[in-house]
Amino acid sequence: MLINILSYTFIGLGIVFWFWGTSHLLGNRSILFKLHSLSVADTLGSMSIIIGLLLRIPSEWPLLILAIISLAIWNTVLGYVLAYCSSSGDSYE
Amino acid sequence: MNLVLMAMILALLIPIYEAWRDDEVWQRMLAFASIATKTSVMALVISVLRDDWMIGIVAVIILSVGNAALMLLAHVIKRLNDVSNQ
Repeated sequence: MLINILSYTFIGLGIVFWFWGTSHLLGNRSILFKLHSLSVADTLGSMSIIIGLLLRIPSEWPLLILAIISLAIWNTVLGYVLAYCSSSGDSYE
Repeated sequence: MNLVLMAMILALLIPIYEAWRDDEVWQRMLAFASIATKTSVMALVISVLRDDWMIGIVAVIILSVGNAALMLLAHVIKRLNDVSNQ
């Protein structure tokens, strides 16, 4: 019962993070601002959702841990690469 | 859990709308990166909901390989911009 409540709390927190991060996409700010808010909030939200799922079904932990690790590594790397590519692309225009 | 899935679909609509609205290529890449992460986490939630771990494995593969593909695509777009501006 307690585990159930805890897992719903984690999943709800993750969805709040998702909405918070992606709502910045709609504004007319610069791309680096959007990239920062999106990568931070999206990664944290997705990791929190996966932790909620992990509490719900602990028997499949290797798969979910793999998902968390690949999220953490790839989203940071992708954030850096997108920032690098988009900023050096602008200087030619 | 159905409510959770509905909220996730609502959150997914925001980057889809952004990719449809904005014509600038980097804004679109950003929206697509967000869509990729969100859909793979949704697939993980569905796999827990249906207790079907084949779907979960597919979701984890999308999570790792899909982001790598987006990174390569960003480099290709950057090189194309460089070549066309020379």
